[in-house]
Amino acid sequence: MITSSEKQQLPPGTILSGKWNGRSYRVEKLLGIGSNGQVYLVGSGRSTYALKIGNETAELQAEANVLASLDRRERGRPPFLLDVDDAAVGGREASFYVMQYVPGVPVRSYLRQHGEQWFGVIGYRLLKRLAELHAAGWAFGDLKNDNILVGSYGRVALVDFGGMTAMGRGVRQFTEIYDRGYWAAGTRTADPGYDWFAFAVLWIHVLDGKRLMNLTRTLLPQNRHPRELLALVRTNAALKPMEPWIERALEGRFRDTDEARELWRAQLQAAQGVKGGEAARVPGWMKGLFALSALLCASAAAFWLLK
Amino acid sequence: MNQILLITDGGSNVGDSPVIAAAQAYADGIVVNVAGVVDEGSIGEYGATEIAEIARAGGGMSRIVSSRQLSQTVQMMTRQTVVGTIQQAVNQELRHLLGVDSVAALPPSKRAEVVQVMEDLGETATLRVALLIDASASMKPKLSAVSEAIRDLALSLQSRAGDSAVAVFHFPGDSDREPCVMDASWMDSTARIEALFGRIRMRGTTPTGPALLRVVEFFRETCGKIMSEPVQPSSPNRRDDTDGVRSDYVV
Repeated sequence: MITSSEKQQLPPGTILSGKWNGRSYRVEKLLGIGSNGQVYLVGSGRSTYALKIGNETAELQAEANVLASLDRRERGRPPFLLDVDDAAVGGREASFYVMQYVPGVPVRSYLRQHGEQWFGVIGYRLLKRLAELHAAGWAFGDLKNDNILVGSYGRVALVDFGGMTAMGRGVRQFTEIYDRGYWAAGTRTADPGYDWFAFAVLWIHVLDGKRLMNLTRTLLPQNRHPRELLALVRTNAALKPMEPWIERALEGRFRDTDEARELWRAQLQAAQGVKGGEAARVPGWMKGLFALSALLCASAAAFWLLK
Repeated sequence: MNQILLITDGGSNVGDSPVIAAAQAYADGIVVNVAGVVDEGSIGEYGATEIAEIARAGGGMSRIVSSRQLSQTVQMMTRQTVVGTIQQAVNQELRHLLGVDSVAALPPSKRAEVVQVMEDLGETATLRVALLIDASASMKPKLSAVSEAIRDLALSLQSRAGDSAVAVFHFPGDSDREPCVMDASWMDSTARIEALFGRIRMRGTTPTGPALLRVVEFFRETCGKIMSEPVQPSSPNRRDDTDGVRSDYVV
């Protein structure tokens, strides 16, 4: 459901000239349609960015505020938020903000292209990103397949911060099948557990989407319960080994997101061990990849600390 | 912030005009939103016009939806109304203090601060929503969807940082002297809602107007002196609230 005026797409080549800050952007293509605006790939000078434009000035500004606050909190990386401005579009004024462009594809497409065995690393990286947000006092809120872009070698980036909510407040934007409240598993108050729940549903959606969709269509509202999700997990070959972890996530039983991440890794290793012979080749490079990512993480941390 | 949410499936047929009742509610600072639920056939021109008119008189918005969409429509209208109420109040202050018409007229740096304040207000202000459910015979197949929508709304309200309360009424009442019946007063627990509709006796008439007035009285009795009438909205963005295209709820 979007505003009628937002259904109109900007043709490639459209120039958006900022009214306040004076920067202008050339529309290259539509990247996605959000609840309160459209996201375009735009060029300015020799760089490309992602630009979100819509008519709900206050809502867009609220999202920009979240990005700005993350940028303040996470110094030492390039900022997410680059510009906030208004531009005339077809005779009407629209508001926009400009972000770093993150190339990548949603999790599901990535696994389809590169193989399901990537889900472990992607999940691990995602939990790491969530841990950072949680430590900064935010829940991501609208965690779902479309909002997670995976780049080369399973690098993940979260996009669309419209659901990001300060801990203790009502989650601003959510997607029903990922929502803890929808599954009668708790409130819609932003806390780390809200994201863990959505994270668990994410993997069911990504690895067993058809059955999940079918379940949500057929289940009566009064029967919605996390055990229904677990029943899917138990009967899916790819998800089954992760069942203990997923159960804890659905019930919110982690001390914090760092613990969730450590246990995710441990569960993956245990799962690999169980598979034995046939998978022997996989754990080798998987471990190597973990070591590499740990090394990268450590060196990034060292770099950041020394800086 | 006080809201009435009317859930119905057709036109009123007994008693005072619901449009005048909604205007009375709005004069008492209560915004009236209307969800028209239609699964088969159409709501009829009379019903559709009345629904839109009630919302317009009540300073709120109206939607005509199927039972499946009811839950998210109810959430969306409630949230949009909170945002709209705050936006109105803030715009009024901005006009008064800075001589600009709305947040959008401020430069982005100032806008950031104002929006921050608006978000805080929206999340922390006390919010009361009285649901008024049409329980005339034709609504019977839709009541489970209504009950689900109430449960879902109560869950979202509970998740806010500010105080929230939900009350539930249905109409018609059991006798002619009683336009509507209260099923639940301001309550903080959703547990009782499941059981609410078991007791309802479906009857034929639809006294929407008298029922609305009764709920306005209930606000007066329980919430003391209610705030005065909000300033008539003049901004164009409120006018398109009834045409069914605004939403911030993602599925």
